[in-house]
Amino acid sequence: METFLNILVSGILLGGIYSLVSIGLNLIFGVVRIVNFAQGEFVMIAMYATFFCFAKFGIGPYYAVFLVAPLLFVLGIVVQRLVLQPLQNEPMMQIFATFGLLILFENSVLAITRGEGYSLAGAYSNTVIELFGLRASFARVVVFFAASAIALGLMLFLSRTMAGKAIRAVIQDRQSARLMGINVERTYLLTFALGAALAGVAGALLAPIYTLSPYIGGNFILAAFAVVVLGGLGSVPGAYIGGLMVGLMESFAGYYVDPALKQAIWFIIFVVVLIVRPSGLMGQAGAEEVGLREQT
Amino acid sequence: MTQAPQQPTTTPPSFGVQLARYAGLIALSAVPLALLWSNPYWVNVLAYTYLFAALAASWNIIGGFGGQFSLGHGVFFAIGAYSVARLYLDVGLTPWIAIFPAAALATIIALLISWPTFRLRGPFFAIATMAINEACFALANYSDRITGGPRGILVPFRAGLSNMIFIERWKYALLMFAFMVVVVLITVWLRRARLGHYLLAVRADEDAARAAGIDVLKVKLQGMALSAFLTGIGGGLFAMYVRVLDPPTLFTLPEIGVKFALIALIGGIGTIIGPVVGALLIVPLENYLRGTLGGDIPGGHLIILGAILVAAALFLKRGVVGAVLAATQRSKRSRG
Amino acid sequence: MTKARLLTTAFAIMLLSGSAAMAQEPIRIGAINPYSGPVALYGDEVARGYQLAIDEANAKGGVIGRKIELLRGDAGNPQQGIAAVEKLVSDKTDIFVGTYISAVSNAASDAALRYSKIYWDTNALAADLTARGLPNFVRSGPYASSFADVSANAVKDLLGPAIGKPVKGLKVWIESEDSIYGTSIAKQQKELLEKEGVVVTGVGAHNFRATDLTDSVLRAKNAAPDIWINTGYVPDGNLLLRTMREQGFKPAAILLVGTGDTFETLDSLGAEYLEGITIVGYPRPDQTETYGPGAAAYLAAYKAKYQRDPIAPQGMTAYVGVQMLIEAIAAAGSVDMEKVRAAAAKLDKPPKSYATGFGLKFDAQFQNTRAFPTVVQWQSGKIVTVFPKEATQPNVKLVNLPRK
Repeated sequence: METFLNILVSGILLGGIYSLVSIGLNLIFGVVRIVNFAQGEFVMIAMYATFFCFAKFGIGPYYAVFLVAPLLFVLGIVVQRLVLQPLQNEPMMQIFATFGLLILFENSVLAITRGEGYSLAGAYSNTVIELFGLRASFARVVVFFAASAIALGLMLFLSRTMAGKAIRAVIQDRQSARLMGINVERTYLLTFALGAALAGVAGALLAPIYTLSPYIGGNFILAAFAVVVLGGLGSVPGAYIGGLMVGLMESFAGYYVDPALKQAIWFIIFVVVLIVRPSGLMGQAGAEEVGLREQT
Repeated sequence: MTQAPQQPTTTPPSFGVQLARYAGLIALSAVPLALLWSNPYWVNVLAYTYLFAALAASWNIIGGFGGQFSLGHGVFFAIGAYSVARLYLDVGLTPWIAIFPAAALATIIALLISWPTFRLRGPFFAIATMAINEACFALANYSDRITGGPRGILVPFRAGLSNMIFIERWKYALLMFAFMVVVVLITVWLRRARLGHYLLAVRADEDAARAAGIDVLKVKLQGMALSAFLTGIGGGLFAMYVRVLDPPTLFTLPEIGVKFALIALIGGIGTIIGPVVGALLIVPLENYLRGTLGGDIPGGHLIILGAILVAAALFLKRGVVGAVLAATQRSKRSRG
Repeated sequence: MTKARLLTTAFAIMLLSGSAAMAQEPIRIGAINPYSGPVALYGDEVARGYQLAIDEANAKGGVIGRKIELLRGDAGNPQQGIAAVEKLVSDKTDIFVGTYISAVSNAASDAALRYSKIYWDTNALAADLTARGLPNFVRSGPYASSFADVSANAVKDLLGPAIGKPVKGLKVWIESEDSIYGTSIAKQQKELLEKEGVVVTGVGAHNFRATDLTDSVLRAKNAAPDIWINTGYVPDGNLLLRTMREQGFKPAAILLVGTGDTFETLDSLGAEYLEGITIVGYPRPDQTETYGPGAAAYLAAYKAKYQRDPIAPQGMTAYVGVQMLIEAIAAAGSVDMEKVRAAAAKLDKPPKSYATGFGLKFDAQFQNTRAFPTVVQWQSGKIVTVFPKEATQPNVKLVNLPRK
């Protein structure tokens, strides 16, 4: 029983990691309909930036996040304006371009760092919380709560604020949104930058957990896409729940079946769910088709 | 999913003329081999170039013509490679024959996977195929008995025509070139055949095609079957060339599955000669960059490659072929 | 002087200067390694080792009257390995060395054979590289079996006694990453340990890039082993140890194989947690001078050239490997594949001849039978060699075993 609870907790926390990483992608994919393969690299860059703040200036990751997230926001603006805006109506070329960015970012960081595996030392990584005999790393608990808070915050943002409503309008029907006077291009820019900033938050909060590598982004990107699609495009609660589900699936499959097969298992489950319900768990039915046919 | 490229509204030229044009372009692509056949470094690069041109052209059947952006073709490639290697090593079957049952197996698996996943459109389909590739990676690594697990399958060097193992690299390059020609000819035929028209219709507007009475799923499956079959053959040829087959070599997405799509994209997706052009550009470039820069600055050659990919995506939206076509159309129009 | 004599003298001078010019042509050694990709750091470190050995030889005038030049070929998978060989051959490479990834070594050595060029492997671990019997292949360094052997010996002779348990009935969990590197070593560890009467309570495999390894840790924890062994890379090793700490999994002894002995792990886990963890790894420069003559000199040379401490011990094994190659060339008097290999077969140097403590004696498949990793231990944030006895500094003792 205790083992079961352990796996459950571990799965939820892992789900928190997946949710946090996917939230930014959910906005970008859901709103701007951009297949951003470089999203994992935003997380990676944020992790290195966080490490830099820590190693050079002694700023802990939970403070550095306030520096790193705006940094990624700016990077997002640059990338959207220069690379993705021109490719608005070319989804295949977007895949191509963001894949090129992925290679570019990965190897730039490799060239700078030679691939040495940095880690954030100290209390952030070492602290363990113990409750009712169940143990969890402090850093992961922080990630889980951050993911939940951000998901909630984002839901409120999208439903209560003007900018958020504009984004939702664009998700639903960009042509009509334009007719309503919404500056669609500006919305795209804002959303992409926001998505990048969220990746920045993820990177900063994940830095205490992992050993950094220029290739660590690649570990997350496919899972992030799967979570977003599973949860339902453009649905914030969907991505959040999708992340939790993937985390739980992976945890249980890893323990009760075989750690070597856990990825394969949840990938297969993902494909099966998608086949049965292509719009994802919480997406609008048919949403996978709406908006993908180009609406200029 | 995409808008169809701006096709000229003039009547297409006759089959004979088209064939002649393509024959000319293919002959052009053979020129490097003819010039460099005695330089093993370039011959090796050309062998990969032709092989990947063929693989990209095979992908193009369902990815370009059919508009189904699959990033999981590596699975069919791997099935072809493993099957040929096993048939050759365990049964003693000559690879010249073994490629056919291997490709058939790849096709069957492709149909099994695609039949349910074709419900998905656009990026969803792409992501699902990537997930399948990763799942197969893990499965191949796990199943020692079938694939040799992490150790993989090693085909020892025993030269001989019936073994499809050659001492001289140019023979391999010739083999890959022949394979490329076959695939291109098949796509030329396909473009004019009914299946080709149906695939293009499905790509342009799936619902309209369905409304027009096309059995969309059947068309997609047929396209996928052909595409997977040819990809499986390519995998088999790869197996007899590299002769070291392990899961990382066959299933790493950026090296295999995604690369097929990338080459077709940069050359000109949905065109016939695009994959060939793309391969002739990318494969030698990547090898050249790796050879000159790869040792000194870690990842230096890939930084440049990444930048080139981004630039190509931005400035060659229809691929190289598309850009050339657009340029010739502009000059035609300006001439009156 | 008569015209004839003048001509003869001129001709003789030309001949002499011609052959002197030919003798000036450097020996080109092509180093094939991944210099990009996830293990780029190790590929580069290995090449640094080569360069140091070559610098050393060149300072003494090179070998067989020729200086040595190092060329690099980046290769992360077999196809790139073939291309790298082709490129280096066209750059007039005489001999190949490598290679941090076994699959690359496999394909590249095969390609090198087409040109009758020696492939002198210093670091790749897969057993079938030598088992193939390729006529140009030589392996100067340890391989998977060597690591498995030393792990088993460490369990039997070092850790078992240290935690106060007899070998028969000792409970061990064998964990590894799931590529050929981890799985081949794990498989052999299991065989060797079971032969000694050790109870292998479980064998686990994980992907080195996994985002979570709690499942692997919990499975091992449930088996309650006395000793936990892991063969892997740095990212997974670090994550496993952190997760073990989180989950309160405290086996009496922890043995890492291959990695875990560098600053990358120290930064990640901290000196306190690492205290007492043992690693089966490539030999280190801190060994005694009697065990590893020249180790201190290697360390000094590395620091002088690269302005920092060595990043990973793989470099010193690479350094020694090229030293051995140079000896073979000198003994053969040429770089010809068959001559060098024949000369290598005759070389016989006892253990403790090199900075790594290796000896030199190739078996029929040209595997160096006197190349072994050593066992080190984290002590107060420093790595200290603890096994074999002759490699250990005299005042060194084991710490924190069993783990508190």
